[in-house]
Amino acid sequence: MWTYILKRVLQAIPTLLVISFLIFSLLYITPGDPVELILGTEDGTVSEEQRVLVEQQWGLDKPFLVRYADFVINACKGDLGTSYATNQDVFDSIMVRMPATFTLAGFSMLLALLVSVPLGILAALKHNSIWDSLATALATIGVSLPKFWFGLVLMIFFSLKLGWLPSTGSADISQGLGTFLSYIIMPASSLALGMAATQTRMIRSSMLDVLNQDYVRYARSKGLKERVVIWGHALKNAMIPVITVIGGEIGGLLGGAVVTESIFSWPGVGRLAVNSISKRDYPMIQGITLMLCISYLVINLLIDIIYAWVDPRIRLDKKA
Amino acid sequence: MSEEKKKENLQQTNTPSGEIGIEALPVTTYWADVVRRFRKNKIAVVGLIMLTIIIVLCAGAPLFTDYDPIVDMNLLDKLQPPGSEGHMLGTDHLGRDIWSRLLYGGRTSVLTGLSVALITAVVGVVIGLFSGYFGGIVEMILMRLTDIMMSFPFLIVAIAIMAALGSSQRNIILALAIVGWPRFARLTRGQVLAVKSSEYVESARVAGFGNLRIIFNHILPNCMGPIIIQATLAVGSAILSAASLTYLGLGADASAPDWGVMLSQGRNYLQSDAYLTIIPGLAISITVLAMNWIGDGLRDAFDPKMRK
Repeated sequence: MWTYILKRVLQAIPTLLVISFLIFSLLYITPGDPVELILGTEDGTVSEEQRVLVEQQWGLDKPFLVRYADFVINACKGDLGTSYATNQDVFDSIMVRMPATFTLAGFSMLLALLVSVPLGILAALKHNSIWDSLATALATIGVSLPKFWFGLVLMIFFSLKLGWLPSTGSADISQGLGTFLSYIIMPASSLALGMAATQTRMIRSSMLDVLNQDYVRYARSKGLKERVVIWGHALKNAMIPVITVIGGEIGGLLGGAVVTESIFSWPGVGRLAVNSISKRDYPMIQGITLMLCISYLVINLLIDIIYAWVDPRIRLDKKA
Repeated sequence: MSEEKKKENLQQTNTPSGEIGIEALPVTTYWADVVRRFRKNKIAVVGLIMLTIIIVLCAGAPLFTDYDPIVDMNLLDKLQPPGSEGHMLGTDHLGRDIWSRLLYGGRTSVLTGLSVALITAVVGVVIGLFSGYFGGIVEMILMRLTDIMMSFPFLIVAIAIMAALGSSQRNIILALAIVGWPRFARLTRGQVLAVKSSEYVESARVAGFGNLRIIFNHILPNCMGPIIIQATLAVGSAILSAASLTYLGLGADASAPDWGVMLSQGRNYLQSDAYLTIIPGLAISITVLAMNWIGDGLRDAFDPKMRK
């Protein structure tokens, strides 16, 4: 097991190096003068002395590869540089907002599972019935709507027309569960929509596979109650491929959060990213992209480890 | 198989048995079979009809509207709700006709979706074909790169690329293509591995055909099914991603008729004129839904388990 984990962690390192290099060089070749961005003057009034000073101070005078190496070494120490726009530490600015993004993403995942698991099981159990068609149709529609647009429509109806929910902002869970829910439910639903749709389809087909397996037939022929067969025998096995899909969806969740957060003014990393892009705050954009990629890798690593732990076939297979 | 022969086969399938000479099961080719199964799938056909209508409306936009989507502004007529006189779907904050902007905007959105799907498919398929066919070091390098590209959250990388390249329609296509090809590469490689050791590839090699000929004439046609399905779904997801990027202000410029631009401009009028947001969103949803229905229909049509 430990060899497996170690192997996976080591595999993540080249991935991170490639992504950091890609982002670093992309932002390096970007048109625009960083000195002017740092000083906040874009009318070409920067004097030569100022320029030299700023370039030295920010290390802009060093060659490209040296700057990249510096960036990687500093990033390993948790230093992602300083924001051009706010002069604040990039790593700290991101870390302050990470919890909000993770809360939103986690809650969306929970919401998606609450919808997709029962719906997927129902569709599989009543295969070829009206329920099945309904679930499949809903799932197709769910992946076809733009997530952020669904969020806007929710906002139009529940906040602006009906006035039931606050349209923007966020609340901490310490402010009471009701308040917390009233703020998070709309952004989370808009993020959960696509996921719930994909998961429903996945659970349905995986459940259909499992229900035809010998061990399910055996459990039934033993005279076990249908409830025990479904929840005890079938679901557990049907969830294994679903876990993989969930891992892949975390990426969509983090990407979707960027748009959703800016719609609902959710104080997370996504909104920071959008603001930084409009201010061309490159160290910040670079830091956010890197941190989100790292989160994605870590979460997927955890899922794979759980997966290997649940299903010994995988870790034994990987070892061989 | 020639076109006439395909048609002939189709006709044979449709001819009721009982006539002399064709009581036996008709001989059908693989592709004729696919077309026949696709046509039997009602939802898929509905999707195809919807898509055809959308493409006709957008491509022939000037035929269906009298207004220019950019120039025809009329501030006296601004923010007219749908159903007002002369403006079927109303007007936006500058008095431009929404129906007209929707039709012209569809050109951008559908074209973006198609271009991204085409570019990613071609690049990904070529990489997948070569790495699957040649194996060894080529495969190792290409697939490692594919794995790495697939382990990023793609929208975030696309946003970062857009931030660097600057906002424009062309850059959206470029960014989505950069993050999109690995899916096709992985899929194609899997397909190639499955057919590589089959007898017809073997015999082509024995016949002395070159590698390129074997790859493109013998292997590729037998991998097309899953690739076509993936490409269909890629069109829809590219339209959705492009809309997200444009909504964030990273896409086409504000005057251009584009569904994403329309959505982001409608944002300031959510309270008073919600239709500005609802209409372009519906247009995107319907287009993507049509693509997904076609994709699902193709999946069923290509599924070998359902083959006779």
